[in-house]
Amino acid sequence: MHGFLFLQLLTGLASAAQLFLLAAGLTVIFGVTRVVNFAHGSLYMLGAYLGYSLITRAPPTPVGFALGALATAGLVAALGAGLEIALLRRLYRAPDLFQLLATFAVALMAEDLTQRLWGAEDLALPRPGFLAGALRIGAARFPLYDLVLIGLGPAVYLALLALFRTTRWGVLVRAATADRDMLACLGVDQRWLFTAVFALGAGLAGLGGALGLPDTTATLQMGFSSVTDAFVVVVVGGLGSLSGAALASLLIGLLQAFGIALVPRSTLVLVFVVMAATLVLRPHGLLGSASAEAAGAGAPALVRPATPALRALALVTLAAAVALPFLAGPFLLSVATEALIALLFAASLHLMMGPGGMASFGHAAWFGLGAYGAALAALALRAPLPLALVMGLLLAGAVAALFGLVVVRLAGVYLAMLTLAFAQIVWAGAMQFEEISGGDNGLLGVWPPRWLGGPVGFYFLALALCAGGALVLRRALHAPFGYALRGARDAPQRAAAIGLDVTRLRWAAFTLAGAAAGLAGALFAYAKGSVFPTYLGLGRSVDALLMVLLGGVGTMSGPFVGALVYTGLYDALLLATDAWRLVLGAAIIALVLLFPDGLAGAAARRMRA
Amino acid sequence: MTLLAAERLSRAFGGVAALSDVSFAVAAGEVVALIGPNGAGKSTCFNLLSGQLRPSAGRIRLDGRDITGLGPAAICRRGVGRSFQITATFASMTVRENVQLALLAHHRQIWRFWRPAAAAFRAEAQALLAELGMEAEADRAAAVLAYGDLKRLELAVALAGAPRLLLMDEPTAGMAPGERGALMALIRRLAGERGLGVLFTEHDMDAVFGTADRILVLARGTLIAAGRPAEIRADAEVRRVYLGVDA
Amino acid sequence: MLEVERLCSFYGRAQVLHDVGFGLASGSVAVLLGRNGAGKSTVLKSLIGLVPPRSGRIRFERAEIAGLPPHRIARAGIGYVPEERRVFAELTVAENLEAGRRPPRPGLAPWTAARLFALFPALGELRRRPAGRMSGGEQQMLAIARTLMGNPRLVLLDEPGEGLAPLVLRQIEASVRALRAEGVSLLIAEQGPAFARAVADQVLVMEKGAIVWSGTHAALEADAPARQRYLMP
Repeated sequence: MHGFLFLQLLTGLASAAQLFLLAAGLTVIFGVTRVVNFAHGSLYMLGAYLGYSLITRAPPTPVGFALGALATAGLVAALGAGLEIALLRRLYRAPDLFQLLATFAVALMAEDLTQRLWGAEDLALPRPGFLAGALRIGAARFPLYDLVLIGLGPAVYLALLALFRTTRWGVLVRAATADRDMLACLGVDQRWLFTAVFALGAGLAGLGGALGLPDTTATLQMGFSSVTDAFVVVVVGGLGSLSGAALASLLIGLLQAFGIALVPRSTLVLVFVVMAATLVLRPHGLLGSASAEAAGAGAPALVRPATPALRALALVTLAAAVALPFLAGPFLLSVATEALIALLFAASLHLMMGPGGMASFGHAAWFGLGAYGAALAALALRAPLPLALVMGLLLAGAVAALFGLVVVRLAGVYLAMLTLAFAQIVWAGAMQFEEISGGDNGLLGVWPPRWLGGPVGFYFLALALCAGGALVLRRALHAPFGYALRGARDAPQRAAAIGLDVTRLRWAAFTLAGAAAGLAGALFAYAKGSVFPTYLGLGRSVDALLMVLLGGVGTMSGPFVGALVYTGLYDALLLATDAWRLVLGAAIIALVLLFPDGLAGAAARRMRA
Repeated sequence: MTLLAAERLSRAFGGVAALSDVSFAVAAGEVVALIGPNGAGKSTCFNLLSGQLRPSAGRIRLDGRDITGLGPAAICRRGVGRSFQITATFASMTVRENVQLALLAHHRQIWRFWRPAAAAFRAEAQALLAELGMEAEADRAAAVLAYGDLKRLELAVALAGAPRLLLMDEPTAGMAPGERGALMALIRRLAGERGLGVLFTEHDMDAVFGTADRILVLARGTLIAAGRPAEIRADAEVRRVYLGVDA
Repeated sequence: MLEVERLCSFYGRAQVLHDVGFGLASGSVAVLLGRNGAGKSTVLKSLIGLVPPRSGRIRFERAEIAGLPPHRIARAGIGYVPEERRVFAELTVAENLEAGRRPPRPGLAPWTAARLFALFPALGELRRRPAGRMSGGEQQMLAIARTLMGNPRLVLLDEPGEGLAPLVLRQIEASVRALRAEGVSLLIAEQGPAFARAVADQVLVMEKGAIVWSGTHAALEADAPARQRYLMP
C-alpha cells in the first residue's frame, strides 16, 4: 500500500512539474501584459515539434538532449517576440476578448502550418537511451526520466523566482506588473519590456513542449488540449501569479494522480470542482489579486430599434427563406438548415455576451448538452421529436441555471475561462462516459419522424424554431428585461442604485442563453441524425464567438448577419481549400484589426455618418 | 422632521479607520453639504448610506426605520436616490431610455420579456426631463452628452425613483462655472418643491456655501464641525484642518 | 527651463484645465495652491504625460514635450511624485529605488542609494522592507527618493505633505531644501500642510482649472482678499 501511495505521489509530482512548465509562461505573460494568450498551447506544441526535429538530430547523450531542448526554447522565444511585435502590440488597448480571439487565430494558423511542415502523423521521440531506465516500486516501474522532470519543475520555478527577485530586469517586470503607468513615469519604455516578457513566456512553453517529448507524442491536437490545462492551472493559481501557478500545478497534478488511482474517471469532475470551488471562495484564484483583472471593453454602442429599411430587409430575407425549399437543391437546403441553427446558437451567445456583458469561451457546452439531451431522450426514452427537443432545451437550461449561480459573480477573463473549462470538462466527460454518450463514436440514428416530411419539413421546423427563437430573444432585449440587462452591463453601480438586482439579471440572461443554445443543439442532433463530442468542443464555441463578433456585439442585428455570413464563408472555405484553418485564422486577425465593431456595427456606423 | 439619521457610523478598511463615530441627521426639504479634504471619508460615508458598503459599527435610519446593512437595490427601493462622482449613466441608451429604465425599475416592471420598453413611461420620462430642461436632448445617446448634461441626466435618473432622500457625490465636478450655479439652483428648487432631503459632497465652495442649509465637515474620518454656512466659515478648527492655513 | 502655454486637459469629456500658462526658471521652486479639485494634480499629470493635454504647448529645456508618452518625458529629465505615492508595494525599498534608476545626467551629481539614504535616514534602515508595509511618511520619502534615482532636472511633487505627521513633514521639507541647493527645479502642488510655499520663489494659485493669481509668497500673505477668495471656505 505504501508503495502504491509513493508511486502515485511520484506520478502526481511528475505531472505537476509538466503542468507547471506549461502554465508558467502563460501566467508570466498575463501578469505583465494582461494578455490572455490563447496561442500558448500552440507555442507548447511548436516546442514539441521543433524539439523533435532538433533532439533527433543531436547526439543521443544527456548534453545533446539538453542542448536540443534549450535551442528549442530559444527558437520559440524568438517566435513569441515576433508575435508580440507583429500582432499583440496593436491590441493592448483593445477589449480583452479581442486579444483572446487574435491569439486563437494564431493558434489555428499554427496548427495548419505545423501540419504542413511536419505532417499529420504523431511524432514519438524514443525515450533517450541514457534515461530509459526505471525505478522499481513494488511491482510497478517508475520511469527515471520522470524523476528528472520532478527535479526540473522546481528548478525552473526557482530560476524564474531568482530572475524576478535578483535581476534589474526582474525588478522592472514586477514593477510593471504592479503599476505600469508609474513605471513609465520613471522613464522605462514598457514596449520592450513587454516583448521580452512575451519571449520569456513563449520560451518557457517551448521548453515545456520539448521536455514533455519523452513522455508524450507530439500531436497537432496538443495545442488546444494543452492550452485548456494551462488555463485551469493559471485560473486556479491566480492570473499572473507564478507561485500560484506552482501551487495549482501541484494541487491538480496530485489530485489527478490519486483521483485516477482511487476513482477512475473522477479526475475531470474533480478538477472542475476544485476550479469552481476556488473561484467561488477566492474569485481571483489562490494567490491572485483583484488588480490582475484585465481591463474591460470600451464604451458600448447606442442600441436603436430596427429602422423601417431594416424591417423591410428582414421581411424580404424571411420571404426568401420560406421560398428557399422550392428553389434550392438538397445540398443548399441542408446548408440553409445549418445556417438557421447557427443563427439561434449565435443569438443565444449574443444575448449573454452583448447586452449581458459576459463573454463565454465555452458556449458549445449548452449546444452540446441540448444535442445529447435530445438524442438520449429520443434513443433511450423513445421520446417523440417535440418532447426530445424540449428535453434538450431543459437539460441545457437547467445545467446553465445551476452553473450560472457560480459563474455570473465573476467577470471578464475569469468568466470566459471558467466557461471554457466547464465546456472542456463536459466534452471530456462525453468522451469518457461511453456507456451513456457513446464516447468518440457518438450517438447515431437520431432522425426526424416521417410525418415531418423529410428535409423540407425539417427545414421549416428549423425556420420556425430558430428564426422564431432568435426573434423572441431579440424581442426580450427590446423589452424591459433587455434594457435592465444592458443597464447592469453599462453601469453596474448605477443599475443597483436604481433598484436593479444585477446578479439576478445576469443569471437570468445566462440561463436563457443556455436554454436557447440547447434548443439549437437539439435541432442540430436531428439535422445530422447523430451527436458527437465535437458538438461540445472548443471549435464550436469559437464558431459562436466568431459569428457574434463578425456581426458585431453591440448591435441587435449582429448575430443574424454574423451567423449567415459565417456559415456561408465556412462552407465555401471548406469546399475551396484544405488550408481552411490558415485562411480562417488570417480572416479573424483581419477582422480584429479592421472591424473591431463587426459587420453590422460597421454598416450602422456608415449609415449614421 | 428627521428623514435620515446616521448614528455613530464607523467603517474600517483592513484595520484602518476610514470613518469613525460619525452622527448627523438630514431633514425633509433640507439641503446639507458634506465637505472635507481628500481622504476625509466623504466617499466612504456616501457608500455606507447608499448600501455599497456595510458599516463596521453604527446605525442608519430612514424615517425612523433601520436600513443598516441593506444592499444598494434595497436601499433604493426605500426611497434613497444617488448620483456618482464619476458619472454613471447607461451609455447604450438614449437620454429618455435612461430615465425610462429607472422608472421601470421603480415601478417593478423589469421582469417583462415581451412588450417593448420604448413605449413604457415615455410621457413620464419626458416630463421629468422637461423639469430639468433636458427635453431637447431626449433622443440623443447618453454617451455623447456634454458633461454638464450628463450630470443633469444622472439627477433625472435618480429622481425617477421618486426618492425622499437624494445623495449626490460631487454633483458639479467637471462642469463649467456657469453650469454649476444653475445645477445647484435646480437642486435647491427640487428640495423645496418635493420636500426632498439632499446630502451632497462638493469641492466647489461657491456651490457649498451658496446652496446648503447646513454644512458637515469631515476630517480624517471624524466630524469636526456641523452648522450653518456662516458658522462654518467662522470655525477656527475648520480653517486649520481643511485649509491648512492658520488664517 | 519650463514654459507652459494655453494648456487644456480633459478627463473623458470633462474639461479640467482651461488655458493654463506659466513659466519656471532653472533651479527655482514654484508652488501650486488651490482648493481640492482646482486642477493642481491635473497640471502635474499633464506635464508628465499621464493626462495628455488636448491642446496647448509644454516646452522643457527648449524641446516640445506635450503629447510625448510619459517614459520619454521622464527621460528628458522630469521626475514625478504622485499624490498617492504609488510605490511598488511588493518590491522592497532597495528594489523600488532600482526601478527608478536611470543613467547619470551631465552637470548633475548622480543620485545613488547611498546618497538618498543619507538624505532620508529612515529609508536606509528599511531597505529590505516591502514598500507596502511602510507608513505613509516612509512611503512618501521612498516615492521622492525613487524619482530622484532618475536624476531629474525638474521634480513634480503632488501634495507631498498630505496626511503626514509634523516630524515627517520636516524631513520632507529638508529634502526639498536640499534638492534646491543641488540646483534641481521643483513644482509642488500643495493644499494641506503648508511648508513648500515658504521656500517657493513663485506661488501660483489655481481655481476651477485655471491659474487665477501668481506672485511671491510674501505678496500672497499681503493680499488678504485673494486668500479669502481662492483659498478659504
